[in-house]
Amino acid sequence: MPELDTVLAGLGDALTLGNLLYVVAGVAVGQFVGAVPGIGPVMAMAIAVPFTFVMSPLAAIAFLMGVNKGGLFGGAIPAVLINTPGTPDAAATALDGFPLTRRGKPLKATKMALYASVTGDTFSDLVLITVSAPLAAVALYMGPVEVFCLIVFAFSVIAGLVGESMVKGLAAAAFGLLCATVGLDPDQGTPRLIFGWFELYDGLPLAPVAIGTLAVAEILRRLVAMRGGGRPAVTIPEAQDPADARVSWAEYWGCRYTMLRGAVIGTVLGAMPGIGSTAAAFMSYASARQASRDPDSFGKGNLHGIAATESANSAVVGANLIPLLSLGIPGSIGAALVISALMIQGIQPGPLLFESQGRLIYGLFGAMLMANVVNFWMGQLGLRLWARVVSAPESIVFATALLLCTVGVYLSTGDLVGVYVMLIFAGVGTLMTATGYSVVVFVIAFFLGPRFELSLSQTLGILGDDPVRMLDHPVGLGLLALAVAAAWWMGVRQRGSRTAR
Amino acid sequence: MRLATLTFGLLAALAIAVPAHAEWKPSGPVKLEIGFGPGGETDTMGRAIAAEMKKQTGWDVIAANKPGGGGVAMFTGVGAAKPDGMTVGMGVSMPVLINLVLRGDKLPFKLDSFDYLATVTRAQVAIVAKADAPFDDVAGLVAYSKANGGAPVAFDAKPQELILRGINKQDDAGIRPVSSKSSAEMIQNVLGGHVVASFAAGAHIEYLKSGDLKMLASATADRHGYAPDTRTLREQGYDLAVDPWFYFAAPAGLPADARAGLAKALDAAIASDAVRKLVANAFHSEVENRGPDGTAKMMTDGIASVKVLFGQ
Repeated sequence: MPELDTVLAGLGDALTLGNLLYVVAGVAVGQFVGAVPGIGPVMAMAIAVPFTFVMSPLAAIAFLMGVNKGGLFGGAIPAVLINTPGTPDAAATALDGFPLTRRGKPLKATKMALYASVTGDTFSDLVLITVSAPLAAVALYMGPVEVFCLIVFAFSVIAGLVGESMVKGLAAAAFGLLCATVGLDPDQGTPRLIFGWFELYDGLPLAPVAIGTLAVAEILRRLVAMRGGGRPAVTIPEAQDPADARVSWAEYWGCRYTMLRGAVIGTVLGAMPGIGSTAAAFMSYASARQASRDPDSFGKGNLHGIAATESANSAVVGANLIPLLSLGIPGSIGAALVISALMIQGIQPGPLLFESQGRLIYGLFGAMLMANVVNFWMGQLGLRLWARVVSAPESIVFATALLLCTVGVYLSTGDLVGVYVMLIFAGVGTLMTATGYSVVVFVIAFFLGPRFELSLSQTLGILGDDPVRMLDHPVGLGLLALAVAAAWWMGVRQRGSRTAR
Repeated sequence: MRLATLTFGLLAALAIAVPAHAEWKPSGPVKLEIGFGPGGETDTMGRAIAAEMKKQTGWDVIAANKPGGGGVAMFTGVGAAKPDGMTVGMGVSMPVLINLVLRGDKLPFKLDSFDYLATVTRAQVAIVAKADAPFDDVAGLVAYSKANGGAPVAFDAKPQELILRGINKQDDAGIRPVSSKSSAEMIQNVLGGHVVASFAAGAHIEYLKSGDLKMLASATADRHGYAPDTRTLREQGYDLAVDPWFYFAAPAGLPADARAGLAKALDAAIASDAVRKLVANAFHSEVENRGPDGTAKMMTDGIASVKVLFGQ
């Protein structure tokens, strides 16, 4: 534990007007690029990193954290308002947010997303500040074998989202895994399914596939269904009951366990490198639905669905810094970008970071808490603005969204190939939706696929040809047992609800 | 290959023959394509060099990311671009060399599809283990692996895996290579005790200082400046080495003045304080520009050494 005066000096460094302005600028940029489909906070951070060269180290980190935090909430805005998630981790937010918008309550839905996002974020920041060292030790204990078992467990929980037909759900998941195998295989380095496109050596790029299937497919569907084009994209009833435009304290408090569960899931997954916020969002959503007394109301505008997703995906951001600050290991691309910014400044990340840069780290903590407050405040302000933006005529809103998706994907992949992939997967997404296959299940399988394959290959390398070595990994065995239990429990529950019908 | 060398020699001679007062200027923006995604160390280095070039020469230099296959996607585009000095690519030698050796017939470019311009630095690849591991060198690792029915060792690039297989072949060590995606991931798995040892390319230096890790060998051709007492693999009796260079190349057939102008601008940018500092911070090594001929020779020699790794 560092000296108290280091802590105070660090926090004092953070609380200056200059840093506050950088945080405000970061959150504004983050919320904007998160809300604009296609770019996303990681891309915005990557673009911003070289600019931080001229800033002081603390201002640079404050700015990047602002972008990251603002972006994760920003992604929820288009997901809720027009059903086109700006970031893949907001895809689960759309499941319950958009039905609320259709019922004329877009402000209620986006506000719930904002409150849950800030709640989850603050929770994981507090965990980071107070108990990051023991949590980092736990994360270190999670090796490839344990990560493999964890992903199996995640699949078993998320399987609850497959929808009515188990066969179609499994087919969608299998297709997602198949798409994840495109590119060099992790073991032999042989290119697979690239059909002469060298751009696909590293696999199908994540952003274009997610944006194509989730956002562009929806935009195309809405454009096709459009008649005339003078209608606003989102209609808010003129004489709206004020209770439908806000989230009451009772409603917020009613979601406390859901948000706590989401925040814990997000924090635990965030502390472990490589799993990511999309998986956390869906695991939290699926488990909230499992725990609910009324699971059938999910997907039809249940506030718990929004609370579960947003608390989990935002909790990942703070927790990603746990392995970074205590061990020097980045837990996500966002955290790796923070490392890049530090290295440009001549600060070496690593196990000695806390000792050598204690004051800077506490400055970072101060900046993170500041960013949460700013995120909340700017979100309140921004929501009104976005709600105005989407009440423009459909023809303008969706055409603009399509253009922005294209530009965003081009920016993030640096290549037209990304745009082709996006368009192809927009077609795939449209076909899947039309034939009743779950796009969401496809996207999760695609996102977890590469990590799943890599950790399987690593597990085989570590265990060698002797399966008995698995006994050295009790945590992994425990997770596998949980996965079996989750699958079994879900089967029982589904059968139960079927006989009830 | 001889023809290629001859061409390089001729071009170099031409470049020298160009009088110094005839300064070349690009007729439009120079596109500097980086073969990796945005935000990483390679990207940061490429952007810093682009910014320095712009500052020093006044040219409009635009850095762009073209990730895919460790630079293969980017060099595919650069190899097919017009050789007018307005397209330059930055990549890492190893993945390109491996692809040329393994599937050269399927690649849309050859070694001589490019005019080589400059090198920036090379990665400091090492083999490391946890500080309390019961061995201090590769021979000790081999003995440990034999005594324990094989030891998992992490790698994150093909040549590293080939080194492990080479050690297995030589000593029948039974090391089990474990594929990984980054230095960070490998170090985590070493610290967590999930693998017995791993490769690392610079990120390990801080852990050497903190006493969490120890270095078993330098996996490059030379010893490393920060650990002058740790012997290379070659010095430990294994004729295996990997030398990933960061380098610049343009499409083959550049006019001599453009080639000389670009090489000169790159050299000045690489030698600048900003780039030196960045390379020291992010790569833990020093800038080392071998110039156009040295870069071409590095690639030609690289083909031979990669063939040795693959046992060809």
